Amino acid sequence: MRRAIVLVVLAVLAVAALLVPLLGDYYIHVFALVFINIILAASLRPSLNCGQLNIGHSAFMCVGAYTSALLAKHYALPFELTLLAGALLATVVGLIVGYPALRLRGVYFAMVTVAFVEVIRLIAAIWVPLTRGNSGLSGIPKPNLLGFTLVSKSSQYYLAVALTAIALFVLWRLERSRLGLTWRSIGLADNLAQSLGVNIAAHKLLAFAVGCFFAGVAGAFYAHFIRFLFPPEFGFLVATNILVYNFVGGRGHFVGPIVGATFLSLLSEPFRGSAYETIFFSIAMLLTILFLPGGLITLPGKLAELRWWRATAAPTPSPAA
Amino acid sequence: MTAALLLQSAIIGISIGSIYILMALGLTLMFGMMHIINFAHGAVYMLGAFVIYYVFFQGGAPYFAALVLAMVLLGAFGYLVERSVYRPIKGGIEPTLVALLALTTFLQAAGYPVFGQLDKHVPPVFAGTRNILGVMISVERLMIIPVAAVLVVGLYLFINRTRLGAAMRAIEQDKEAAALQGVNVHVVNGLAFAIGFALAAAAGALMAPIFKLDPMMGEQPLLKAFIIIILGGLGSIPGAILGGLMLGLIDSIVATALGAEPAFLLSFVFIIGLLLFRPSGLFGHA
Repeated sequence: MRRAIVLVVLAVLAVAALLVPLLGDYYIHVFALVFINIILAASLRPSLNCGQLNIGHSAFMCVGAYTSALLAKHYALPFELTLLAGALLATVVGLIVGYPALRLRGVYFAMVTVAFVEVIRLIAAIWVPLTRGNSGLSGIPKPNLLGFTLVSKSSQYYLAVALTAIALFVLWRLERSRLGLTWRSIGLADNLAQSLGVNIAAHKLLAFAVGCFFAGVAGAFYAHFIRFLFPPEFGFLVATNILVYNFVGGRGHFVGPIVGATFLSLLSEPFRGSAYETIFFSIAMLLTILFLPGGLITLPGKLAELRWWRATAAPTPSPAA
Repeated sequence: MTAALLLQSAIIGISIGSIYILMALGLTLMFGMMHIINFAHGAVYMLGAFVIYYVFFQGGAPYFAALVLAMVLLGAFGYLVERSVYRPIKGGIEPTLVALLALTTFLQAAGYPVFGQLDKHVPPVFAGTRNILGVMISVERLMIIPVAAVLVVGLYLFINRTRLGAAMRAIEQDKEAAALQGVNVHVVNGLAFAIGFALAAAAGALMAPIFKLDPMMGEQPLLKAFIIIILGGLGSIPGAILGGLMLGLIDSIVATALGAEPAFLLSFVFIIGLLLFRPSGLFGHA
């Protein structure tokens, strides 16, 4: 069943990657944002696998976005450099704030990550000479990749696809590696992992830094795609959305956040900008948590179970018959 | 900064701190018993303020009657949330957290179509200013302090002097042992939800005549309450009270000197710094 789900998800992503540009600029825009959300959601997984509930991921997206945008705008650096700089600075900031925070467990950590979001957002809002504060940073150049400026929306879309493919590949390989198994063991039983000689703090920090790096990548692309940055765009709501993608999609498998990000981004799209976007979003979230605790990826399994139950239950004659 | 200005911001700080204490007490109580962080607390604060808007301002009811009504209505809502969200999840900490986040975003987003897009204002309830040690403070802000104090003392007496309060303390110490002694854990947890929601509603109702009302108004007090309970130690009631007063004072004095956003930033930096040296807060033991 899992294998089938993975294949279906991969097939859908591949078809979307190839066919969406034929549908016009609106769909290109929507799906590029879906891919950004996929990177963000998948990059939260290493931390979640370590048992760290991170509700502050949008802070690192914010660092990546502003770094890349400012370097490209003021120094006309190419996208490959600004992307790397944004991702690395997001990682460094992640290491600086993550080091003290990772000594905390469970709910304490979750609440401190909420504080990160506010700290980064407030810095972006207060540091007006650099970020233009709450008036927003505009005039961000289009991505200039290897000497070519990606003028058309569809070329930028393929860039998003490529970045998503690379990010997912790296994250997937990491999760399947010995390192990923160690992370998982910390999430399942950190005392036991420690007793086997695992350096918990170092591994948690590494998982956190990996997540920050890819959040920075997503942010950098976002900056050059939307070409306008506004501190409230990186607030608490975005951070919780990233977490929610993981829970709604399902925490049990690597494709969970991918399914969650795609499903929720597309579901709320018709209502984008209105309050109903968030209303639908939150209802979907609540229903999934209450009735499908394993997330959407467990839905096919549940349906199959139901069908099997009906098939076995049907031949039994009812007492009335 | 002159001495008079300092005194004035200190008194206003205590008044804001009282609001923070009301928010933080419910959070810390619910954490102590159920190990959950109620993200919906800010949305409940917002709903409390809107009850004042509709019942006191539009409906013309007496202010304190509206305040009590807000606490009763939202307390009942809290019990309902325990029954329909917390209990079915059976204590899973992460799913509960996400479900409460969902509830929060739902209440906030639904606020726009229900309450309208424009900010609402509640006219002042207590007009005028009072001279305290030579500085002028608006009665509106002063009134918050005794009302909050009554609620805090009431909660203290309830927890320490009644059978239900003893049941709450028992659950906080050991849920299974409490259940074995005949404590109905579900009902008492529901009561903790109701108390937490009612206190948050009271905080919102007290702030309604001072700040403008909009569906996102609970976000800042919620984040402040998070800082306070981290500062005071999760689950600690004295910690929440002391932390609330400290943060109220820091907020008011630094905001007067430097502006609101740097004050907010400073409180976050302060908390991250504190956690470096005392990972379980000032009064925490876990």
